[in-house]
Amino acid sequence: MRSTWRVWGVVVALVVLHLFLHLGLGFGPAAPDLLTVALLLGARELGTGGGAGLGFGLGLLEDAFSVLAFGANTLALTVVGAVSARTRDLFVGDSVSFLVSYLFVGKWMRDLLHWLAIGEGLREPFIQVILVEGTLGAAYAMGTGLIALTLTGAWWEKAR
Amino acid sequence: MPAYVNEPAENGGRRHWVVAAVFVILSLVLLYLPPGSQQRIATVLRSSVLRPFVRTQEALAAARLRATESERLRAVLDSVVSASTSNTVLAEENRRLRGLLSLSSRLGPSWKAASVIRAGTVGSESTFQLDIGSADGVVVNSPVITRAGLVGLVREVGERTALGMDWTHPEFRASAMSEDGLTTGMVETVRGDFREEDRLQFNGTAFHTSLSDGTMVLTTGLGVIPRGIPIGTIAGLADEDEGWRRSYWLAPMVEPGRITHVLVATTLRGLPDDISPGWTTDSIATLDGDAEGREPDGPTLFPDSVEGLAPDGTPEATDSASGRGGDGL
Repeated sequence: MRSTWRVWGVVVALVVLHLFLHLGLGFGPAAPDLLTVALLLGARELGTGGGAGLGFGLGLLEDAFSVLAFGANTLALTVVGAVSARTRDLFVGDSVSFLVSYLFVGKWMRDLLHWLAIGEGLREPFIQVILVEGTLGAAYAMGTGLIALTLTGAWWEKAR
Repeated sequence: MPAYVNEPAENGGRRHWVVAAVFVILSLVLLYLPPGSQQRIATVLRSSVLRPFVRTQEALAAARLRATESERLRAVLDSVVSASTSNTVLAEENRRLRGLLSLSSRLGPSWKAASVIRAGTVGSESTFQLDIGSADGVVVNSPVITRAGLVGLVREVGERTALGMDWTHPEFRASAMSEDGLTTGMVETVRGDFREEDRLQFNGTAFHTSLSDGTMVLTTGLGVIPRGIPIGTIAGLADEDEGWRRSYWLAPMVEPGRITHVLVATTLRGLPDDISPGWTTDSIATLDGDAEGREPDGPTLFPDSVEGLAPDGTPEATDSASGRGGDGL
């Protein structure tokens, strides 16, 4: 029970910090995508449906400022939430290498799904958005997430 | 013999998949909802859960502005006060003449000042939030401008806030013309391989016309944007179809990423047809020059106004008959 509370505390803190950095301070890409990190952490506490629901809620928050691609973030995070929850049945996930890969692939997949969902008219070039910015963003989120989860102990407490 | 399965776990797993599928379908429905419904959901979120974060940025933006721009604004204010003091008589005369000719006032109360807030979330690129809304008279498609020129358009309006898109947005279009009004076309954003390569292009101009670098491009007044707002200056030939059309690159007048305050049209019907007098380059140069403590590059008065003055500074009576001296309009 104690570990669950710690995990959800970290999830809420990451979401609030993400919104503070991106909306409150307007940092944009300069701040890491902690919303996806929070989803990747929280979804493993839930089943597939719960993970999708968590992604749906977080995606709605992210979409509140999307004028022409409303729903693209929601769809991307819903799918990532569902898939993340499913990984709990496939991987134990108590190693650093798994956590690193999990955060990196999760964030990269979220960007790819968002890129696919926004439609052809708004789509930026694949090379820039997915290969360059997506990879850098995934590495940034992975590094920040690794530090946050190590400092709080949320990941390993959960895996114990 | 049937294979062993954990019945409750299988049922639970199936339920999870059904719930997940429902959420995926819901998110797809969101994606294809009519814009009005999407806007209502977004407005509810922005004015409830996300409101504290937006307020934080509003407060920080105001504090940053006070800290960094106070000296420059004070200098600009001083020069404006100085200019307005010396022009009081001319302004009164201008107002009287405009009344006689039944002309509406220049720019005037149709524009309202607003602060620009940028959300740094994925998908919000090329958009900005304004701290005024329908309660202040802002409507969808209200043009957003700065002293330098056109910023963009309002896309969504709430009661106290509005969302706009700037000219970097892929859906931005503006009917445009050269300064002399002889060359017309459409200004649009052309995407590059990388975001930094996005540029403004003055497209579809007639092949028999040619524009030199530095020529100002203004809005034509066709559509929702009033006539005469500067968009950019010509910065080279982009493309030409032999005997058919030419396209030019534009150096934009406004850098959207740097703006903090804008003017928003509060009612489209009340706008004058041509607001180009609001952007007389000499007045902008004078204001900037005064603020920076240097001599202005251009004349501080309209040339024909100066010509209309006798050596002692009193107006000459003959100019109105010759058709000069009408710049004050």
